[in-house]
Amino acid sequence: MTETLRLALVLAAKDLRVERRSRTALVSAVVFAALVLVIFNFARDPATVTAKMLAPSVLWVTFTFASMLTFNRAFALEKENAAIDGLLLSPMPRGALFLGKYLANLAFVATVQAVTLPLFVLFFNVGLGQALGGLLLTIVLATIGFVAIGTVFSAMVVRTRFADLMLPMLLLPFLVPPVMGAVAVTTRLLSERPLSEQVAWLRFLGVYDVVFLTICAMVFPAIFDE
Amino acid sequence: MGIETPDNGSYMVAAYVVVCVVVVGYAASLWRRSKQ
Amino acid sequence: MIPTLDDAHATIRRGLLITALALAGVATVIIMALWLTPTEVRQGLAQKIFYLHAPSAWAGLLAFSLTGITGGLYLWLRDPRLDLFSEASAEVGLVFGVIVLTTGPIWGKPIWGTWWTWDARLTLTLFLFFLFVGYMALRNALSDPAERARFSAVVGILGLLLVPFVHLSVYMFRTLHPQPVLLKPSAPSMDPRMLRTLLTSVGVFTLLYLGFVTARYGLSLRREARGVADGD
Repeated sequence: MTETLRLALVLAAKDLRVERRSRTALVSAVVFAALVLVIFNFARDPATVTAKMLAPSVLWVTFTFASMLTFNRAFALEKENAAIDGLLLSPMPRGALFLGKYLANLAFVATVQAVTLPLFVLFFNVGLGQALGGLLLTIVLATIGFVAIGTVFSAMVVRTRFADLMLPMLLLPFLVPPVMGAVAVTTRLLSERPLSEQVAWLRFLGVYDVVFLTICAMVFPAIFDE
Repeated sequence: MGIETPDNGSYMVAAYVVVCVVVVGYAASLWRRSKQ
Repeated sequence: MIPTLDDAHATIRRGLLITALALAGVATVIIMALWLTPTEVRQGLAQKIFYLHAPSAWAGLLAFSLTGITGGLYLWLRDPRLDLFSEASAEVGLVFGVIVLTTGPIWGKPIWGTWWTWDARLTLTLFLFFLFVGYMALRNALSDPAERARFSAVVGILGLLLVPFVHLSVYMFRTLHPQPVLLKPSAPSMDPRMLRTLLTSVGVFTLLYLGFVTARYGLSLRREARGVADGD
């Protein structure tokens, strides 16, 4: 078990090192996020649509689409170098491969979110204050699940010709429950409702995460069977 | 003051036609493919 | 285990026969719904769309579930026929999905005053439909049969797991959609003749699913059998 974890961390670290050198995925995701925030701010009529009304949805649209930009990158790099075969030939427990990819993706997405959130606060002038802790919790809970699914799907679609089209097509339906929950909670938190009132949705998000993390870890090896 | 039943029969007809077209259409496509 | 051409043809024939039977059933249900069932006073004739819309949704869900389940079984047992059935069920599910997503708005316009609303159930039905489309697109984009079968199975299983979360979100979000009348613990709140028509329709649409999927599965079997015969 610890061997798996150790290998996973090694894999994730390798992915992150590669990305740090090339930076393309992160930069494109961050630029995309900033662009979306700016556009949404300009595209609304300030008289009728307040920033507060729009804010939760914009935040989550930005998070999810920017995240999708990072997923394909993780596998595309290796496909280009046929490095995956090297990984597969090595005597590594399959669980480590999934966990490694997953942790790297999680780190990418977390970075994008870390940059986007302050931009969001800036552009939409939302007072976070009390809501920050609850918001962070919501972000974590909503993200863990869909990153697992994104990891699985990007591993599959990288073998097709239309990877960049197929990934959103397959992934978007899975984003609906966590995004619905996240937007519902975010809206209420920004309206200064207490975190204690959001327990039902938070529990929903948690269950979603546990279920999909488990199943994704279980089916991931099937993608690489020869 | 009775309840006024709305006059929306045309929607019903449209829906029923759609269902028939799709169901019969798919059945026909299966039959045609079986003959190939 | 390669299917024989004879098996394939027999399956297709059986499927078409069941379909023919089911089509007669659909005609019967239409007659029942239009002439033998009272009109709902508040909603008018448009309410009768329900007798076709709801059973189609049920059939679509059945198709979807079986795609997911047979996909999962394929990953476990690796019998290619399970994958072929999965493929057949997905295509049939698409057909019922088209029915649900067209009759829905036609029902919605007179009853709710709007063609579409982004309430939870409609949104998620639409997304399940997209998932079916994605499943088919993925299958078309992969040429190696074993890889195609494995990847489809993964999508199918994950999609199947999504459904309860869909159903749960419907309850957690206040929506326009009529609250489920039948799947509540309490007794269905409906005129007995309406219930009779509805249940008959559900039975007929289930039969229709069976006919469609059997014939479509037979076509898949035939494709595999011919592939081998041609010396692929």
